[in-house]
Amino acid sequence: MSLAFLVPLFLLGLAGITVPILVHLTRRQRKNVVTFPSLMFLERIPFQEQRRRRIQHWLLLALRSLALALLALAFARPFFDRSALSLGAAAGPREVVVLLDQSYSMEIGNQFTRALNEAREIFDGLGPLDRASLVVFGQGARVVTRSTGDRLRLNSALDTLEVSSSGTRFGPALKVAQTVLEESELPMGDVYLLSDFQRIGWTGDEGVYLPAGAKVIPITFFEDPPDNIQVTDVDLIRHAVSGRERITPIARIARNGGVDAREVNVSLELDGQEIQTRTITLDPDGAASVTFQPFTLSQPHTRGTIRVPADELTADDVRNFVVSPGTALSLLVIDGSGGSTDASLYLRRALEISDDGRFRLIHRRTNNVRAEDLDGTDAVIINDARIDGGSAERLRNFVQAGGGLFLVLGENSGWPASAQDLLPGTAGEPRDRLQGRGGRLGHLEYGHPVFEPFSGPRSGDFTGARFFRARSFVLSDSAIVLARFDDGSVAFAERGYGLGTVLVWTSTLDSFWNDLALQPVYLPFVHRVSEYIGGRTEALAWFTIGQVLNLADPGALESAGLVSTESAELSDSTDLVALTPSGRSIEFPSDDEPKYLALDESGFYTVRPPASEPERPFVIAVNVELEESNLTTIDPEELIAQVMSPAPDRETASGLVQTTELQMEDQERRQALWRWMLITAFGLLAAETFMSNWVSRRAVGATLTAT
Amino acid sequence: MGVARASHSGARFLDPAVLARISNLELLARTVVDGFLNGLHRSPYLGFSLEFAEHRQYMPGDDIRRIDWKLFGRSDRHYIKLFEADTNANFSVLLDVSASMSYGSHEVSKLDYARYLTACLTFFSNRQRDRVGLVTFDHDIVEYVPPSMKHMDTILHLLHRASAGRAGSLREPLVKITELLGRKGIVVIISDFYEHPDEILSSISLLRGRGHDVIVFHVLDPAELSFPFEDSSSFEDLETREQIPVIPNRLRDDYKRLVSEHVESVEHRLTENRIDYVLLDTSKPLDLALFQYLLARERWTRKR
Repeated sequence: MSLAFLVPLFLLGLAGITVPILVHLTRRQRKNVVTFPSLMFLERIPFQEQRRRRIQHWLLLALRSLALALLALAFARPFFDRSALSLGAAAGPREVVVLLDQSYSMEIGNQFTRALNEAREIFDGLGPLDRASLVVFGQGARVVTRSTGDRLRLNSALDTLEVSSSGTRFGPALKVAQTVLEESELPMGDVYLLSDFQRIGWTGDEGVYLPAGAKVIPITFFEDPPDNIQVTDVDLIRHAVSGRERITPIARIARNGGVDAREVNVSLELDGQEIQTRTITLDPDGAASVTFQPFTLSQPHTRGTIRVPADELTADDVRNFVVSPGTALSLLVIDGSGGSTDASLYLRRALEISDDGRFRLIHRRTNNVRAEDLDGTDAVIINDARIDGGSAERLRNFVQAGGGLFLVLGENSGWPASAQDLLPGTAGEPRDRLQGRGGRLGHLEYGHPVFEPFSGPRSGDFTGARFFRARSFVLSDSAIVLARFDDGSVAFAERGYGLGTVLVWTSTLDSFWNDLALQPVYLPFVHRVSEYIGGRTEALAWFTIGQVLNLADPGALESAGLVSTESAELSDSTDLVALTPSGRSIEFPSDDEPKYLALDESGFYTVRPPASEPERPFVIAVNVELEESNLTTIDPEELIAQVMSPAPDRETASGLVQTTELQMEDQERRQALWRWMLITAFGLLAAETFMSNWVSRRAVGATLTAT
Repeated sequence: MGVARASHSGARFLDPAVLARISNLELLARTVVDGFLNGLHRSPYLGFSLEFAEHRQYMPGDDIRRIDWKLFGRSDRHYIKLFEADTNANFSVLLDVSASMSYGSHEVSKLDYARYLTACLTFFSNRQRDRVGLVTFDHDIVEYVPPSMKHMDTILHLLHRASAGRAGSLREPLVKITELLGRKGIVVIISDFYEHPDEILSSISLLRGRGHDVIVFHVLDPAELSFPFEDSSSFEDLETREQIPVIPNRLRDDYKRLVSEHVESVEHRLTENRIDYVLLDTSKPLDLALFQYLLARERWTRKR
């Protein structure tokens, strides 16, 4: 720490100190020396008083000189340049950001413990004016301690850290570092990146650029890739056997690394109990599937785990899932009484093909829909029927209450004008596409849940179907087109009405007007349409680390495995408590809307109303992101080169100089030593005045006494 | 005495400040002596004059060479003239020219005052037909003019040139002077006497022991007597150049007391040994010195 001056030119004022000294000396020479014939008598007189008086004069001189010096120093605006303490005179205090990789791959070879020790060394090496932030990151980044010089606090924060179940993403962490450095007033910025530098953590398009002057110091914890066996996926195949649902788990096991083939025991646990174990042989970098014996699923929220023996990377050695018995959709299929008896043959056959018996069909040939037909029905498929007004009104109420309606237009279709607003448009006359090979589906809305399974490559081809006839359809304002023919006319349209949904297919679902029923996509298509209008949401057997579940959203709960009634019940609960896999309790008060549950631990989350002990509580399975098991590394220099700002040009350099000057001004402004110096100088002058007056009074008093 | 000085118009010529404007020492001495004597003419102390000549009837034992034979021719009685023998005394002035004598708090320094006094006394004595001599000294003899009727001009010239410079002391120069002044005479010592009274006495006693009639003029500046300084200062000794810090207000009383004791002591010791002592303030007119001298001279004449 050295004393520096913002305006050192004012130090020339120190020369002013010589003025009183010179005056003093010259006065002594010219005026204060009296020649006298002899000091014979004067020397006989004790003169202790004179010596004291002389010292007092020097004291006054010292006071005056000091006051002048302080005035000059105050105008020079001094400050203690504390930056010199840390990095020498050229460098200022540093803003240090320690980015600590907390992903589960850091557990290999005690990398995380070593990273913690490295971080402690970094914090111990901080200068007295340095500030440091501790940021842990996985898929996201979390600031544990922000910009502090308190080493104790920083080290204490390190003691609380553990390896997470998260994957690696460098982007958020570097973004946080960028923000910290940009907000910092300190001239230097050092970013310590403590990680195993997995390539999957960096895509290169994160768009992070650290401020100019910042420096990234990578501290790598490379380990030789271990012989890692992981459970990559689990398929839960449902079968309906004798009215009971059975699940056949199929686990896929992969091995990374290794030298020789080895046998691996793969076990299946249900509700914490090991049920089965299979032994497979895995070659180096090989993979295998393990099919377990089916088990009967009788209880909702059954927790299952596929486990392989623990290795160095334990997080991917298990795969958790939650399964509940499925519920069949009740579908009412109505064929027009005037049409062909086989109008819905393909449709009914397709819906009946289901291993898990997910559809329960009621087939009627009528143009009249009765109210009792709609009781307990999830969706109604009207296939080429002429619906009367009363039926239409009943269907309106049915849809409004949340039911689904799938209207298939054919030769005999008819719809009363009074209920036209229920449909997404108005059906017209049939139009033929007889030329050539007929019409085709030209556009499909793959983002819609119906077509979403077909969006991927080789996931179903609708273009093979030929359409020779279809009814024209004029869309209403509130309609959504899900599919169009290649001539632009509407093939499939949707409209939401009340809580329900209405779909209109402008051609038939048999082989009369088109050959879609003969295409491979027909069966999944009608299944998806039926599930969609029936309101079925596929339950997820597990979530992945980093996902968030809104406990106040019935749809989200339903997708998490809760049946509709349960999800509505749970989401309506005023208070909820979530128990994390590590046993931490997270409370969601009634006024906390929405109730987001961040799934950041691997295992099973239990959600229940507080102070309740349900027999089968709602359980959510969470698994790690398997990408993290890919231990391929990235060259730290490659990463650093992408986050560093271009080399500072001249303007930037001058900016840096200005920044340094500003920083000096800032130091000077904060310390404001000049104020104290001015106050002290005035105090000294006051003391000098008082003292000189006192001396004068005393001398006069002594003279008066003598006379 | 005071009446004589104050009531006579010629007294103004005795003011040292006025005398300082007269550069010619002979003119100065003449002016002073004439003016002084004119003043004395009306003085009740009148009774001795350089022009006066007394005839005394011859008594057995008198030197027959002193009989005034002209008067015998007119009166047929023997008378002798006494005045001629008084005019042949050796008159020597021992003038201190040490550095301390250069001090002066006003227009006239102690040395100037001493020079005026020397000039006047020498002129006065020379008129009386005395053989006049001069010795200037500091810690040694600086100049020596042996007593002679013809040395008046030399003395005045030396007085004119005399200047103070070196440190002074009494003992050594007075021992030498005692050896030089072989014939008894009148010795006038003019000095500021910054010596211990015993040292002063022992030094002057040498002259007295040789039979000289000694009169001591103790010349002091008024500042040396009253110590009128106000500002705290470093006082520098003119002879040793030593400096000491002094608060005059604090020291004045002690100083005046010490000076007074010193003067009294010197006067007491000298008087005890039949040495005339006169303290002179350089701000005061010269008449006091001259008057004291005449008194002493008269006493010595009577004694003789």
